[in-house]
Amino acid sequence: MSQIQKRSPLTNLVQRAVLDNGITLLVIENPTADIVASRIFIKAGTRWESKHQAGLSHLVSAVITKGTDTLSSLEIAEQVESVGASLSADTATDYLQMSLKTIGSDFAEIFNLTAKLLRSPAFPAAEVELERQITLQDIRSQQEHPSAIAFEQLRRAMYGRHPYGLSSLGTIESVSGLTREDLQNYHQSYFRPDNLVISIAGNLTFETARYLVEKALGDWEIPTNSILPINLSPIVCKPYQVVTPQETQQSMVMLGYLASSVKDKEYGALKVLNTYLGNGLSSRLFVELREKRGLAYEVSAFYPTRLDLSQFVVYLGTAPENTAIALEGLHHEIERLRTHQLTDSELQTCKNKLLGQYALGKQTNAQLAQVYGWYETLGLGIEFDTVFQELVNNVTVETAWETACQYFVEPYISLVGPAKFVENCQI
Amino acid sequence: MSSLFEGLIDSKFAADICKLSSGLTVIHHYVPATPVVVVDAWVKAGTSLEPKEWAGVAHFLEHMIFKGTDKFPPGAFDAAIENTGGVTNAATSHDYAHFYITSAAQYLPETLPALGDLLFNATIPDAEYELERDVVLEEIRSCNDSPDFLGYQALNQSIYQNHPYGRPILGTIAELMQQSPQQMRQFHDFHYQPENMTVAIVGGVEKAIALELAEESFVSTNSQIQCPIGLVEAEPPITEIRRQKMSVGRLEQARLLMGWMGPGVEQLKDAYGLDLLSVLLAEGRTSRLVQDLREKRQLVQNISSGFSLQKDSSLFTISACLPTENLEDVEAVICEEISKLQAKSISPAELSRCQRLLCNDYAFSTEAPNQLASLYGYYHTIADAKVALSYPEQIKSFSVMDLQQLAQQYLSPQYYAINVMEPSLR
Repeated sequence: MSQIQKRSPLTNLVQRAVLDNGITLLVIENPTADIVASRIFIKAGTRWESKHQAGLSHLVSAVITKGTDTLSSLEIAEQVESVGASLSADTATDYLQMSLKTIGSDFAEIFNLTAKLLRSPAFPAAEVELERQITLQDIRSQQEHPSAIAFEQLRRAMYGRHPYGLSSLGTIESVSGLTREDLQNYHQSYFRPDNLVISIAGNLTFETARYLVEKALGDWEIPTNSILPINLSPIVCKPYQVVTPQETQQSMVMLGYLASSVKDKEYGALKVLNTYLGNGLSSRLFVELREKRGLAYEVSAFYPTRLDLSQFVVYLGTAPENTAIALEGLHHEIERLRTHQLTDSELQTCKNKLLGQYALGKQTNAQLAQVYGWYETLGLGIEFDTVFQELVNNVTVETAWETACQYFVEPYISLVGPAKFVENCQI
Repeated sequence: MSSLFEGLIDSKFAADICKLSSGLTVIHHYVPATPVVVVDAWVKAGTSLEPKEWAGVAHFLEHMIFKGTDKFPPGAFDAAIENTGGVTNAATSHDYAHFYITSAAQYLPETLPALGDLLFNATIPDAEYELERDVVLEEIRSCNDSPDFLGYQALNQSIYQNHPYGRPILGTIAELMQQSPQQMRQFHDFHYQPENMTVAIVGGVEKAIALELAEESFVSTNSQIQCPIGLVEAEPPITEIRRQKMSVGRLEQARLLMGWMGPGVEQLKDAYGLDLLSVLLAEGRTSRLVQDLREKRQLVQNISSGFSLQKDSSLFTISACLPTENLEDVEAVICEEISKLQAKSISPAELSRCQRLLCNDYAFSTEAPNQLASLYGYYHTIADAKVALSYPEQIKSFSVMDLQQLAQQYLSPQYYAINVMEPSLR
């Protein structure tokens, strides 16, 4: 008799098919709750934007749910909201997605609606203008948060003209110039069946899912032209310091290093190092800077998964008079990774944490649809689910140390806080 | 539990509620398909129980619980949970403090006793107290850099002028500097007792095991020495417009925040009705205020409504981010909408939309064990866990007349609190 479940980690069966018109379909059958979640990924996103059109993907995702040839924004919302479903579109750096979630019996109807929006959005002029104005206000509102300012200026410094340098909202200048025609061109360029991944998880069978997708999108033909290659500005590593003086109660201190893409061999080691420094209450930064020294409430690290060079960032918020020691403290912890190897038990702990939490992140249908669809969209394939776990398990004390030595050479530094404390603050 | 919630209790309750001989309540729900187990321990030791001079102690104590016991030195508990891939954290509000662990089910025999030890035997060492106080002060500074946090706190203070719900959960820097670790130990010994706790255990562990582990793990040795308790005064209704204007630094857009006092759990069904009104007014593109103010007239950048259920008196809010010049118009439109709700019943289609939305939200928010554990623990701390499961049935039972009557009883275009923040002119 099994008294405590020992089945681990979650073993999900993902069924994959490529339809005749190039749509990649992933289905995870999960009958435990009467919920279906779907993610439709388009291989586009801010990475595909030119600098003068920064924010275009975001605006496309803001307006795409707001009209078709036959349905107004309000009619679409009524159809979704009257059955208590959710439907939204979002932009990330490396993809653009539409997300929907319904009770099992409503899925077909809402999926059909989503397919219409995906295929033939009207981008009504009034809606484009409304969302453009709101985006401009959202860009201004970012300036209200010291952490957003600190991250914004760090990102610009690190990426130069590469699209990763700007927020997905774009800039006041670029968004001011966007037109309805830009949205239509973007849609025409990237919204095509051979550039789509549809991921569905929940209470339905693979056959039902495939039938629904083929019925709604099977006659969508692949355009004869090929998808335009993107022309990305090179990322040049030239670390420097950026400072915004501001009368805040806390200073924000951030250090950033350019770090490998998901396709580089050091990806696993950097994920482990990120876990070591910044993941949870027992992470190195939390223990050393918060628990032992009381320097911060929030102190952490992040290393997002990216197609191009990513960034490895450590940061904290601290009382202004502690700005210099906090900066020194963060830098010291990074430097320490180059002068000290992790112990075997530290490394094992990081792996347990990283893989344990990875398993916990695949519980709901929405999480399942997200993670597999995302891997497929990035070109890693659904098998990256196991590949990732192997990559992490294969990290050794030596490879972690070599990776730290290679990447953590000199940081970009970003400071926001009262002038007296952030200006002339150096490491 | 009293019969107060009788009509609201679901007979097909999927979890078991067990009271142990120590007085501890355990709520167990076996989810066979998951390898995960969630433990969520809720303690009736929130901000509301603080004597006035002890403001902030409930939240600060939540931090100090993690500073360990004789068995677990500072940091040892966090490491024990996280080293096996688990996650732990905690939160404090006016009605509760709660502490949770998510981990693979096989580790429960180690994690549960550790959590029990922490909750009952926290030593609150003087040196750690002073160090952690710096962390809490940083938390306060960080919140003070957030205009929305400040606005919401000020609205709360304006609505609750007598009841401790108006008190900032974090306390203030000056207040915290006045307090001692001895006071905190007193607060801890008195309130962290088995009869004040509900532990929800949800996931891949069977009932007999869960109960046996809970019985062994949650053993109090606290003497329950006396402790002053804050006076909880009922809050009289608002009979005016309480208007305040705040200036905060670095604001790019004005904020409008309006609030009304709602029912406590003794009128739980009314509270569910206000959930429906909140959806009707400002959730989704078809809701009245979003449709009118954002989509049609374009007077706001965004607008939303919130209903937060609290034990003694809940809070109904409407908040918007908007250009300064639209403040007056938007306030007037909101008041008009409320008058309309009072004067005329909504359409059956509108009611049905709100009902489906809330019922589905409920289904979506009970998909994972941590969501279920939190739901059971929260409801049992302020009312009775069994009512949590009847939520969809209750929501479906409302008529358009019921909602009109609730709008008349709890909302008003003449009596409310309002807080406005404007960006300074440049």
